[in-house]
Amino acid sequence: MTASWIPNLVPFPVLLPLLGAALTLAFRRSPHLQRAISISALTGVVAVAALLVVEADSHGPQVLWVGAWREPLGIALVADRLSSLMLLVSSIVTLLVLIFAIGQGQANDDDETPVSIFHPTYLVLTAGVANAFLAGDLFNLFVGFEILLFASYVLITLGGTVLRIRSGTTYVVVSLLSSSLFLVAIAGVYAATGTVNLAQLSIRLAGINPAVALVLQLTLLTVFCIKAAVFPMSAWLPDSYPTAPAPVTAVFAGLLTKIGVYAIIRMQTLLFPQSPLQTLLLSAALLTMIIGILGAVSQTGLKRILSFTLVSHIGYMLFGIALATTHGMAGAIFYVVHHITVQTALFLISGLVERFAGTTSLDRLGGLAAAAPVLSILFFVAAMNLSGIPPMSGFLAKIGLLQAGVEVGTPLAWVLVVAAIVTSLLTLYALAKVWSQAFWRSQGEARAAAIATARVDDEDDDAYDFELTLEAEMEAAQQAALVGGTPVAVATRQRPLSRMMKGATAAMTATGLVIMLAAGPLFAFTQRAANDLMARDPYVTSVLPQAVRH
Amino acid sequence: MAYLLLLHLIAAVAAPGLVKVLRTKAFPVLALVPGIAFGWLLFVGADVRAGHGPAEHTMWVPGLGLDLDFRVTTLSWVLGLLVSGVGALVLLYCTWYFDDDDPSLWRFTSVFTAFAGAMLGLVLTDNLLILYVFWELTTVFSYLLIGHNPASSTNRRAAMQSLIVTTVGGLAMLIGVIALGVRHSYSISVLLADPPPLDSITIAGILLLLIGALSKSALVPFHFWLPGAMAAPTPVSAYLHAAAMVKAGVYLVALFAPAYASMPGWQVMTLGLGLFTMLVGGWHAIRQHDIKLLLAYGTVSQLGFMIAIAGLGTKTAALAALALIISHGLFKSTLFLTVGVIDKSTGTRDVRELSGVGRALLPLAIPATLAGLSMAGIVPLAGFVAKESAMDALAKAAEGGGLGPAAYGWVAVVALVAGSVLTVAYTARFLWGAFATKPGVARTAVTMPHPGFIAVPVLLGVGCLLVGVLAPLESEWLMPYAASVPTGETPASLALWHGLTLPLLLSTLAIAVGVGLFAIRDLVGRAQSFVPPLIDGERGYVRALRGLERGAVGTTALTQRGSLPIYLAAILLVFIALPGVTALARGGVQTVRLWDTPAQAVVGVIMLAAAVLVLFTRRRLTSVMLVGATGYGLSMLFILHGAPDLAITQMLVETVALVVMVLTLRRLPTKFTRHPHSPARTWRIGLGVATGVSVAAIALVSAGARRRLPVSADFPAEAYSFGHGQNVVNVTLVDIRAWDTLGEVSVLVAAATGIASLIFVRTRSTRLAPARAQQPPSGTSGRGRWLLGGHTVRKEKRSVIFEVVTRLIFHIMIAVSLYLLFSGHNEPGGGFAGGLVAGLALVVRYLAGGRHELDEAAPFDAGLVVGLGLLVVTLSALAPLAFGGTILESTVLDLALPPWGEVHIVTSVFFDVGVYLIVVGMMLDAVRSLGTGIDRQTEQEQGDEQTRQHEGTTR
Repeated sequence: MTASWIPNLVPFPVLLPLLGAALTLAFRRSPHLQRAISISALTGVVAVAALLVVEADSHGPQVLWVGAWREPLGIALVADRLSSLMLLVSSIVTLLVLIFAIGQGQANDDDETPVSIFHPTYLVLTAGVANAFLAGDLFNLFVGFEILLFASYVLITLGGTVLRIRSGTTYVVVSLLSSSLFLVAIAGVYAATGTVNLAQLSIRLAGINPAVALVLQLTLLTVFCIKAAVFPMSAWLPDSYPTAPAPVTAVFAGLLTKIGVYAIIRMQTLLFPQSPLQTLLLSAALLTMIIGILGAVSQTGLKRILSFTLVSHIGYMLFGIALATTHGMAGAIFYVVHHITVQTALFLISGLVERFAGTTSLDRLGGLAAAAPVLSILFFVAAMNLSGIPPMSGFLAKIGLLQAGVEVGTPLAWVLVVAAIVTSLLTLYALAKVWSQAFWRSQGEARAAAIATARVDDEDDDAYDFELTLEAEMEAAQQAALVGGTPVAVATRQRPLSRMMKGATAAMTATGLVIMLAAGPLFAFTQRAANDLMARDPYVTSVLPQAVRH
Repeated sequence: MAYLLLLHLIAAVAAPGLVKVLRTKAFPVLALVPGIAFGWLLFVGADVRAGHGPAEHTMWVPGLGLDLDFRVTTLSWVLGLLVSGVGALVLLYCTWYFDDDDPSLWRFTSVFTAFAGAMLGLVLTDNLLILYVFWELTTVFSYLLIGHNPASSTNRRAAMQSLIVTTVGGLAMLIGVIALGVRHSYSISVLLADPPPLDSITIAGILLLLIGALSKSALVPFHFWLPGAMAAPTPVSAYLHAAAMVKAGVYLVALFAPAYASMPGWQVMTLGLGLFTMLVGGWHAIRQHDIKLLLAYGTVSQLGFMIAIAGLGTKTAALAALALIISHGLFKSTLFLTVGVIDKSTGTRDVRELSGVGRALLPLAIPATLAGLSMAGIVPLAGFVAKESAMDALAKAAEGGGLGPAAYGWVAVVALVAGSVLTVAYTARFLWGAFATKPGVARTAVTMPHPGFIAVPVLLGVGCLLVGVLAPLESEWLMPYAASVPTGETPASLALWHGLTLPLLLSTLAIAVGVGLFAIRDLVGRAQSFVPPLIDGERGYVRALRGLERGAVGTTALTQRGSLPIYLAAILLVFIALPGVTALARGGVQTVRLWDTPAQAVVGVIMLAAAVLVLFTRRRLTSVMLVGATGYGLSMLFILHGAPDLAITQMLVETVALVVMVLTLRRLPTKFTRHPHSPARTWRIGLGVATGVSVAAIALVSAGARRRLPVSADFPAEAYSFGHGQNVVNVTLVDIRAWDTLGEVSVLVAAATGIASLIFVRTRSTRLAPARAQQPPSGTSGRGRWLLGGHTVRKEKRSVIFEVVTRLIFHIMIAVSLYLLFSGHNEPGGGFAGGLVAGLALVVRYLAGGRHELDEAAPFDAGLVVGLGLLVVTLSALAPLAFGGTILESTVLDLALPPWGEVHIVTSVFFDVGVYLIVVGMMLDAVRSLGTGIDRQTEQEQGDEQTRQHEGTTR
């Protein structure tokens, strides 16, 4: 039997960061204290999350009815295998990114990440992420989303440059729309069932008119697919993420879309287990993979390439979910864990590249392999991991999904297997291009090429105007300077990398290797988690020990 | 065996450090690693031959079928010896190939060692998925090795080409691996001992494996990557061509041939493509001027040969295939290493420039010639023995009808002979090109290489001879593999002399014609230039990539428009098409009660009218007002429903929103810039209407589906008995669903910070400038009478009445806000509403007396208030834990406070106080940012303007 105080720990991943946010606001004039507070709060969350993983695995879901209200009146927080695992991974990621951000802030004098704004907001963001994972209540899930979204609105526009505000607008407006639709969905769910508790919904939704349940399911699915950036509702992502400060982009890319994926997993298994919508979801997964990765192939900015691979690989996770089998679900969960870590690592690396070379545009980068060997190794390892090169975590995650797809074996499932393979190849291609240009090509060659491109750009301005992305615009000014003045300008913005930034990035990259080494137990864990999800049973009985009968 | 691989890994990780200390002397140390593997394999050789080679099993990811299974069979033993032996020798050779000051040495040593390890793992594993793991690893490492000198764009392209081509094959193979594994087993020994029934998916799976093998072994149409791969340093080429990488494909074919060679499609791919590749490779080889490139095409040709024989699937062929693999490994490594020495010593590899090198480098020329003769298949070298038995195997298969109609078999034999002719011809060209003293060509200057540099090729060249001479012994060791093949008769032992057989005749013919072909090479060369390239894989590759890039750009241009309205439209279309249409189509008709009281209808009409009018207004202020009207209408509806709490809150929120919007509008143009009647607008209106209809349909449909009582039915009773309050709304907010409120106030904290961030950009805390400290601007008279800050406002903007009213109501508003806060538990109100009232009081002060008046009214930092509020909220959530309760649990405190007597406090009020503080802080932030902050910006701009005008006039 689990210790009685354990359930009281469940809200701590939310409360600790909020407490930290309060304190960092209060001690607004002392950056040192703020850093110490933030790091302690997030370290605490990692510890609690680890404990919850162990408890959820050995003693079943940990449930807390907040305020000791009797079920099903209040709000339940639930840490089952899936949510505690998500919590653990996300807390490790947020902690490492925080360390990176602190490193960047300390090395910076130009206030790109203003401490007194960054710290409280970042902590609120992590509280929101934790809340979303722990919510055992549909409305509270909405609240969790709102917390992290509002914090993300602040972070994405940090520094208030024209570019950030413009791309922030895309992000904010799309998020607001999705929140409104979420409210519509919640209203519909409550109207139809009279409850928002997930466990109770799991029972009650089965009893209503299936057509209405389908309407509600589709509404929720639309909302979560926006968050997860599923095609055709994915275009906002590559237009908004790349301009934010590096640590912000890293944590957004790693985490925020996965919360959408988490929500899809939860609703598909807990609320609508009888309606897998396999064809619809598989088709969406297919389009997301292929169109996403074609986007990555077409880009010339590192951050945008990574953003497109992010969209594309959401398709993998959706593939696993759509199969609606235990293996598919386990594969999807494993992929989420892998992808959170690898995508964050890659964005942190692109932050290092930007800092080191002053740009992330492939047209102008060059010679990094010779100039920055450590950075190169980190990029190469992470890039190969994302491309699913064995034996790293990306490969293992991919194998899990492919096996699940082959097991299902329907024609559409086979199409998805092939599409996943093609996506994998094109990911490798897109990242190998980055490697070839930014890391292998010599700096002199890069300079010559940059000047040539700049001239061409001058000549036909509107030839590819969609390509004149935000990132490109950002470069445009520098390129203009390049053409007019001395080509040496490429190198002038180089800044040394702080040890803290490198350390955090290396740790983030190494997490992928740790997942590889611990893949046996971890995969077994995701399989148990998937079993729980498919059976629904430990979840519902833990949350509602009495109500299950009626 | 896992330890051997681990050793390679450790060596690869340690190599950079080793290189730092030892420079090129690190190579002999690293060579020990594959050397140890070689030694161990020799040691277990007898066991393997006896049929009980060592086997290991380590769990890795059992859930995925990924287990580290290793075993040594005769096939893997032979390949393992080749991989580790040649690997060790090549590493040794590198000691003299590289210079001490080569800056990329750390990278090279590490990757090369890892590559050797991956190759060894590939041939030793018994798990098909693990085989794939090593397979891809060799791809990635070879990518890095081929791109060893990345400054040249040709090298980068070659590396990319090999990566993409072999990965295409590899990934195709992965599908096959998984298809086999999921449906049968990942264990190679199980798949061989107990082949699954050949249904279409199994056949497809095996053929996909073959595609992987063909791409790795550079068969047509994948052949073009291998010649490109000679961009790698020569030792890498030697290893890549002789023992590693390309041999993986041959290994895979040889591995599966015993059980699957008779499967439909198999022979087409191995024998058909194999022999065709043999011809294509040879054809290209005889026209090369670069001796390294010549060898590379030679390898393509030989790989085709090996795969054709390995895929035959008879006992004789199995024996021949192994003999071919060994002899090819020996002669090809010798020849490449020879080229490396020539290249280093003379600085060229061009047959038109090399002359007299054979005499100058006699110790090198001898082993190279041995190897060359072995390649051409001349007695008594290893290559001769192997080729004899291969011809024998193919002829027997053709006779036996194992290859379909007899004609096919004989075509294959003819192709093989033709391939051998070409082999003899390019061998002659190589030996002549590298070593001959050519008339009319100046003698090439040769720097004498270090003896160690030559030692390795000498050793390997002698190997070619030894293996040939000891052929019967060799065949004894190889026989167990042949015995594992079910079809065909037990082969004769490998030997130099079988009598006057058909193969011998064919060989002799091939040698004669080949030498003849070499003799008339100029004529052949001219003839070749008239033959158009039949299959140009490279052009196909380039075209495919170009098509891909173009397609990618096109698709992205279509989907990634960079336009927010389009993104929103896409989302709304999905919303309309999925839940909307489903609700409309399948929801069923509900009886709808339009209103309870006519007043609701009136309010509804007003709201609708306001919403429609918004579409037609061009002034921003008007549209804000109209949207506000819908909000106020909503609060009216709440009142009509008997929900005063919601109504108050909604009213206050609407007011705050209006004030904030108006403050913001000061910085925006008064009118929208859009055209009122553009087609896009019509479109958007249509989309909006459809969205509205969908939402309405969803609402109607779901409301009609209710079967059970809502949980809120129990709220009033529970709120009183457990939450100790009569105001259900407030108890819900601060107790039942206090966790939601906690989240929502965090949202406010983030929002407040965000507003401050956007306006002040760099810092959360603002400078305060209270009115008392301000000098009145010129044109105002003395101190303000009613408000302290009045004097700081320009005269034309001051309103005495407003100041008086403000003076009168400010404290009342604050009092009301506190009342709302503390009475909220039983009466309408609560911390949120109270905070909004207090905030509005501050807004009033600001509007009446300007920013200095605001700083006078609230002489504290907004961020601090927000922070304190959040602190109070969080601590009151945690506090019950200290008393053995649970998070956010509330209780009643009865305190005796002397002036009031007995006081009855529900602990959730502390939570509400925190909420109050956060709301006040957020309002203060909003006014400070959007009021004060924008004031400052405007003043600054006006100041700049004035300065500019001033400067203008002085000039």
